[in-house]
Amino acid sequence: MAVLIDAMRVLSALNVLLLLGLGYVWGRNFYRFRSKHTLGLLVFAVLLLAENALSIVFFVFNFEGLTAWVTDPSFVPTIAQQAMLTLRALEFAGVVFLTWVTWD
Amino acid sequence: MEAVLWYVLTGTRGGTNRVRILRALDERPRNANQLAEDLELDYKTVRHHLDVLEDNGVLEDSGDDYGAIYLPTDQARHHWDTVEKIIDQVE
Repeated sequence: MAVLIDAMRVLSALNVLLLLGLGYVWGRNFYRFRSKHTLGLLVFAVLLLAENALSIVFFVFNFEGLTAWVTDPSFVPTIAQQAMLTLRALEFAGVVFLTWVTWD
Repeated sequence: MEAVLWYVLTGTRGGTNRVRILRALDERPRNANQLAEDLELDYKTVRHHLDVLEDNGVLEDSGDDYGAIYLPTDQARHHWDTVEKIIDQVE
């Protein structure tokens, strides 16, 4: 089901955008305050950003033919793709909420 | 309280201005208008930050509507070394 993979791609891209925003706020604050707390937030944003950027490399740029494997239902059945999408969607919801509380 | 202070002052977009407001109020309690003037900030921005700091138990107001004077809560005073540590980083 290519549409499930497409949904994953879109969510990864949205996560990247939000995490860039969060990384900007926390990076600027860390530059300013040098506190352990802000460093923690910044490292978190950078690692989650890396995770989503890698996901885009794997599933959009067809790294090592990976996309062909994941989209082929004989290798990855629909239920497995749905599970992957669910995890991505939950992550997106978490990042949206964090952006909302950080943006004020 | 300590985690709240770190978060509200260094974890959010408006943290730097909140630190400036807190430092000004520590010097001398003021109302929103005076703060906006003294810190050269938009009145609405100051109002927003005051509300956030109040919601988080860092500030309290004297309750006289528009002229309300803001000052740090006892709870914030109790953890003032943390506040000072953060304030020190801003100029």
